[in-house]
Amino acid sequence: MKPRSIVLATGLAIVFATLPVLAHHAFNAEFDRQKPVTLTGKVTRVDWTNPHARIYFDVKNDKGEVVNWDFEMGSPNGLMRNGWRRDSLKVGDEITVTGWLAKHATNVGNAGTVTMKATGKRLFAASSEGDAQ
Amino acid sequence: MKAFLTIAVSVMLAVAISPLLSAQWPDYPTANVPLLPNGQPNMEGPTPRTPDGKPDLSGIWALGRGGGGGGRGQRGQGRGDAGAGAARGAPATPANTPAPAQARGAAPAPTPPAANAGPPVASFFDLGSGIQGGLPYTPWAAELRRQRMADNMKDNPDAHCLPIGLTQLHLHPQPRKIIQTPKLIVMLYEAQGGVRQFFMDGRPLPNNDPQPWWYGYSIAHWEQDDLVVETTGFRDDVWLDVNGSPLTTTGKMTERMRRPNYGTLQTDITIEDPKSYTKPFTVRVNHRLMLNTDLIEFICQENEKSSQFFEPASK
Repeated sequence: MKPRSIVLATGLAIVFATLPVLAHHAFNAEFDRQKPVTLTGKVTRVDWTNPHARIYFDVKNDKGEVVNWDFEMGSPNGLMRNGWRRDSLKVGDEITVTGWLAKHATNVGNAGTVTMKATGKRLFAASSEGDAQ
Repeated sequence: MKAFLTIAVSVMLAVAISPLLSAQWPDYPTANVPLLPNGQPNMEGPTPRTPDGKPDLSGIWALGRGGGGGGRGQRGQGRGDAGAGAARGAPATPANTPAPAQARGAAPAPTPPAANAGPPVASFFDLGSGIQGGLPYTPWAAELRRQRMADNMKDNPDAHCLPIGLTQLHLHPQPRKIIQTPKLIVMLYEAQGGVRQFFMDGRPLPNNDPQPWWYGYSIAHWEQDDLVVETTGFRDDVWLDVNGSPLTTTGKMTERMRRPNYGTLQTDITIEDPKSYTKPFTVRVNHRLMLNTDLIEFICQENEKSSQFFEPASK
């Protein structure tokens, strides 16, 4: 089996291990799929709440200033079905978030994946991006 | 050989991930599941029946094959169709994709009988995605839908934690539960905590209800093995799909629900609404049974912070 096949198979397994979720609103009503973003920082707060779990984390910008970001994830039921627990993220955890920026709000985004720096564990954040039109 | 290895590695990885999916749900297995000789659930087994001989529609139901759950056109066959809440239940098997992770207690998705026959399959975003030329909108409805889409569907009631149009509930990735008694059937929807009652005691539909309802008023009866549910009394501002296909107070919805085998629920939905549509139309939604799981509470108003960021801003 060639490495490329392994990568493909791994990708398929991960993709199809994720279970569906949907935001309670259309992705395009809030976020811009043309503005993907990757941010690394430290968790300051986790709202394990409906209709979206939200993570707040501090990120150091290019000027060395610390900025607090607010990222929307799926609802807790969708996250649970994708392997999350309500204590999967804790204040102080270092994470890398990939996602998309809000159209107009500052320092707000929609999370696609969250990777834990300590373990390298990557969790599907139940983004609704894939369901956007 | 290469293809075999690819699939084999996929399955191994999926199995490795599956404990994660099943890690936090109480272990209450579904009772009386028909089994195959290998011990796996037989999702294509016989339709269960109640003591009076009627099909028993009870169960937790996820969007199924051809359920059209996702976004553009029929792309709901992909992740959006992969079985909301399939963790510990029967996983989805999208029609044209490899099998997903086999969660514990899982079984292959059943094949709906005569899957290629019947009305066009609806999708969550566009109820008419399977209808050539789309839904038969009146000019008023076409303009209203155009405006709703131009506004990024931000005024879909769902986006403001209000009740979802019934067809959106049918197609929503979050599962639904049917509780069946001889004279009353109740449908519980995880999405927005929706509740519907199908009255089967012979009462007629009300014709002078002064208070239209989000979910309308439903009566039902059996026609052989089809449960026929008639619903009227809707509000004037229903969104049948995320793109904003309307339904108004002049509207009527007729659902023909059947369980052709153990693991499949099939619902043909006919919409009549002369204000919104030039003629009636019928679409199909397929659901598949989820095993060993239940609905999870969803209280949308708990911490709704999205709408403040909508674009364009809500009026």
